[in-house]
Amino acid sequence: MRRVAIIGTGQTRHARCRDDASQPELVREAAAAALADAELRPADIDAVLLSNMELFEGRAFPELWAGEGAFACGKPCMKVATGGTSGTSACIAAFHQVASGLFDTALVVGFEKHSEGHTQTGMALTDPFWDRAVASGALGNFALSISEYMTERGVTERQAALVAVKARTNAARNPHAHLKSPEVTVEEVLASRMLAHPVRLFDMCPQSDGACAMVVASEECARRACSRPAWVKATATRHEQPYLGDIDRRLCAMRTLRDASRAVYAAAGIIDPLAELDVAEIYEPVTYAELAWYEALGFCEDGGAGRLIEDGVTSMDGALPVNPSGGVLSTNPVGASGVIRVAEAALQIHGRGGARQVDGARLALATGYGVYAWADAVVLGAEP
Amino acid sequence: MSERIAVKHTMDLAWRYASGEAMERFCADLSDRRIEALRCGGCGRRYLPPRPFCGNCRLRMTERVPVRDVGTLVAWTVVHTPILDGRTGEPRPAPYGMGLIRLDGADTTLNHYLAEADPARLRVGSRVRAVWRPALRGAMDDILHFEVLS
Amino acid sequence: MIREGSIHIPFTYAAGRAASRFLVVLRDEGRILGSPCPACRRVLCPARSFCPRCGEETGEPVVVDPAGTVVSFTETAAGVFGLVRPDGADTAMLHRLLPAGAKWTIGARVRARLLPERTGSITDIEGFEPLEATEDHA
Ligand SMILES: [Zn+2]
Ligand SMILES: [Zn+2]
Repeated sequence: MRRVAIIGTGQTRHARCRDDASQPELVREAAAAALADAELRPADIDAVLLSNMELFEGRAFPELWAGEGAFACGKPCMKVATGGTSGTSACIAAFHQVASGLFDTALVVGFEKHSEGHTQTGMALTDPFWDRAVASGALGNFALSISEYMTERGVTERQAALVAVKARTNAARNPHAHLKSPEVTVEEVLASRMLAHPVRLFDMCPQSDGACAMVVASEECARRACSRPAWVKATATRHEQPYLGDIDRRLCAMRTLRDASRAVYAAAGIIDPLAELDVAEIYEPVTYAELAWYEALGFCEDGGAGRLIEDGVTSMDGALPVNPSGGVLSTNPVGASGVIRVAEAALQIHGRGGARQVDGARLALATGYGVYAWADAVVLGAEP
Repeated sequence: MSERIAVKHTMDLAWRYASGEAMERFCADLSDRRIEALRCGGCGRRYLPPRPFCGNCRLRMTERVPVRDVGTLVAWTVVHTPILDGRTGEPRPAPYGMGLIRLDGADTTLNHYLAEADPARLRVGSRVRAVWRPALRGAMDDILHFEVLS
Repeated sequence: MIREGSIHIPFTYAAGRAASRFLVVLRDEGRILGSPCPACRRVLCPARSFCPRCGEETGEPVVVDPAGTVVSFTETAAGVFGLVRPDGADTAMLHRLLPAGAKWTIGARVRARLLPERTGSITDIEGFEPLEATEDHA
């Protein structure tokens, strides 16, 4: 397998509604930004990978309509679909395509326009015999698992609110982010509307319109085209049983993410992730999930996540800044959200993070979350 | 930018889904108020609702074991912003309780509605009992919801 | 055991920059816009913001002719559908050929028939009808 690096990233402005652009125009906005960042032309790209949630926009074959916006005409182009992990999975697929020697360059584009479809209905189309009669949706699904997690680990609503404050204040330094609140307080989070106990409005990710793209290149191409490539050091993806009730201790165990992170740490030679990682971009659709992920990712012992957020360890000036971008809690065009995690991690290695840059970031983790059914983990480094 | 044009439309999507043998038997049993789980010959885990195979062991399951209609609340929430019912497209009146319930005799948990919607009265570990529809139809919603036993 | 049902999914599709302008001009002026590609020099119709073949952003839209040529067609239970290349454009657009009972051939000359009351939709063009018929009307 050849060495692979990310040499350019690009994002649109993310917002509740981007009706100024059609889906292909939105895709092109991100794709063109990534090419400009990599200083490449469309003709320099060998293959295109897309990520988008089928049915969320009420349009079949999203890859058919959006491909031309990703400069895919006349090139190999396909969509990768693994639920919420689709974006990270598309990145991993591109890494594999270039690592294998099949292609020298690949462009990954993830996009979603939640404003154009009905996400809830799309999510309700589950097993008609069982789940559809008692469907809880994404929100109820999280909320159920959270009560179990809080009971076992003693996490509090206030600790979760600290995650929301961190996300929205970080987002204020990210020009692309959807929800930005530099002044938001824990009290405001705790006073926000209850959606599904204990999840409040400010605990939950938004539904955004937006796209994100990146250019993936072989070692030879990366060294020629990029002064500071973000090298792909390790990737892992894990699938799980599909039914919520078949999985033991859901957020507490989080077997998929736990296994995927241990696999990438081993492959990248990471023994103590909290000490060795410089920055992490993790897929946290709800505040409580970020706390659970700290434990699953080995940033702390099980039961230690509340202290980690209280002590500011994962803040911008902490030992391991988590989600300098503001995370999924601030920006969530689902098909793009996983691509954004990897692109933001790459941006940190590139040293192009602007106001959200973590000084001297050389080792970064990005993760994806596709309900309990999938988890992806990617480690990027300044050295191959 | 000048005027923005958007097309609005409602798509009617017809679907048809075959249950497979395990779910067919489960539904037929419900109309007799009988619940059975399938037990994995590899790990011994008792799956409810029954699945045709154990994803962990990658084995087909055939051994049936009895399950009671009382169990333990493993997780709960009270939903204030309902999602649309996937059968009708209509929202369920809120607030309503939902729980993950481990029925006595099963190892996996069921997600289902709770009769209780007051957070102060819901606790992980509470004992719950199925409330059945008076006229059973052989479908999952023959169990209307679960009530908390005092 | 089989279960059947249906579900209703509401959706919106934003036409975006180029298609919005195309639809507004069609509605307000009854004219059809195409987009010139600076790289391959083709005029793409209906108008769009970038050339799918070259990846370049297109230039200021140009008015193409309501008259054009049938590139291909098919007869279906719902009517006759054709790909029509308007004069002044290099691509063909899919639309109805009117009337359905006419004898159609590839290469037939046609002209867009517009609705008198237009809403900003591609169906503001009712379809394309034989050029001779429109000249007879004129
Ligand atoms: Zn088993
Ligand atoms: Zn061109």
